[in-house]
Amino acid sequence: MSNEEDREVKQREAGNRETARLWRAWRTVHELVQDRGYILSEAEVKISLEDFIHKFNSGDGNIEKSRMNFTAHPSDEMVARYSNPVTDRDPKPAAPDVGPIKVKFEEGDSIGIKNMRKFAQELTAESFHTGIMITSVNITPAALKIIPAVASETRIETFLEADLLVNITHHELVPKHVLLSKEEKAALLQRYRLKETQLPRIQIGDPVARYLGLRRGQVVKIIRKSETAGRYASYRYTV
Amino acid sequence: MATSQMPKSILKKASYPATPTSKQDRDRELALYHADLIQNRKDIELEILFSTETLIDYPLATAPYDASNPSSADAKTFKDLLRPFQPSDYDALIIERNINERCGYTLCANQPRKQSGGGKWRMVGKYGKGKDFRVVDKKELEKWCSEACAMRALYVRVQLSETAAWERGERGENAVQIDLRDEPKSDSDIVEGLDKLQIAGDDNTRKQDTAHLALERGDRGPAARIGSVDVKILEKEIRRAPEAPSLEDQDLTERLDTMHLALEGHTPSFGSNRHRRHEEEEEDTDWKL
Repeated sequence: MSNEEDREVKQREAGNRETARLWRAWRTVHELVQDRGYILSEAEVKISLEDFIHKFNSGDGNIEKSRMNFTAHPSDEMVARYSNPVTDRDPKPAAPDVGPIKVKFEEGDSIGIKNMRKFAQELTAESFHTGIMITSVNITPAALKIIPAVASETRIETFLEADLLVNITHHELVPKHVLLSKEEKAALLQRYRLKETQLPRIQIGDPVARYLGLRRGQVVKIIRKSETAGRYASYRYTV
Repeated sequence: MATSQMPKSILKKASYPATPTSKQDRDRELALYHADLIQNRKDIELEILFSTETLIDYPLATAPYDASNPSSADAKTFKDLLRPFQPSDYDALIIERNINERCGYTLCANQPRKQSGGGKWRMVGKYGKGKDFRVVDKKELEKWCSEACAMRALYVRVQLSETAAWERGERGENAVQIDLRDEPKSDSDIVEGLDKLQIAGDDNTRKQDTAHLALERGDRGPAARIGSVDVKILEKEIRRAPEAPSLEDQDLTERLDTMHLALEGHTPSFGSNRHRRHEEEEEDTDWKL
């Protein structure tokens, strides 16, 4: 095999690897969005590698990332889960803090303040409630500081492609996490006569918490298999 | 004799706190104090972020200005914005500028030099003396457009304070003074110098005045102490044409007797009131210096 041919084969293989990576990230992020309660069709989530290549190749064997962006709207179930309960003190509670989501696969080998600012402006202009930015490289620390600065307008989350190659929630050692609605949370605290701070805690940066997009103050129910009890539920307060 | 009133205490009243502060109040004060500190820190961090964002697009002035001869406006803004920076913030600024294809030195409009070829490391100083020889990361070399700009940028970096801006205390006192390696050269150096002098003095005194004013108001928050609460004194709006004060004729005679006593239009009252006050003052002057 000549040197030329060798290089070509290597390039193609690298291209294939890159494609496969993107396909896996795509599947995981779709599962993530679906698991959070947004509406996505099964066909979109369970796309096969062939279909994926067919749909997004740019003609020269690479995948066009800019065409992979997608949006989704929350299901009624999700809106109900995020809604604020009607109480005596608060007969007309605020609308639930959820809305359409946009997922963007960001190109480029370095992501700085400018990219983040642009994404935030896109989200605000198109009035998306949440945005997920997926990058192949680390985002600069300064750019990450933009996220809290624009938190009042839009909610931005970032993931690395490398973190999305496998869906962590499908691993057998990761128990099922279920987000409780505000009513369920109130019922839980009432049932055990607890203050919320007396619950065990889960950090907001916990991989599963990031996967589910947990917010400070929410409670998740964790359902584990137990050898003695069959199933065992515990609760975590997000801090 | 049974009365519903409590008997009057014969003990001297304690002079300190008239209303004793409860534990709750003290706790609140403490919590507020620390919350203020944190808020102050957050404000400064945000300010640094926005400054970084602004400085990514510098310099604003185009030719004939360049890194060796920056425009004075750009240089001044650069120095002002850089004041709260720590060296690490400055490094972040350089990285951000590189991402946007600009030389790491803020006042240079050129693109950074690209190193050709692969490999992660480069040899530097191959043709000089042995002690100049170094192996450096390629990324380090791709930050700048030239040696000179690297020098200029690092010249600024070493002048930045290692202490975080929110721990530096009063901003007026140990504000970082930054000099550029290549200060703006201008035709009218003297005029420029005079301008700068005035601006610096003005700003400092204004800040100090604001801080004093806050103290007088009884505002003891940290934000007020460093003069970051901006108090602007505005001229009162005038709606009608000004006219000179005149004496109305009808009650002139009446007012003539007391006119010499008037203090800015107010005539103090005399008689019993004044006597009483006078006596009181004599009685109670031992605390005066």
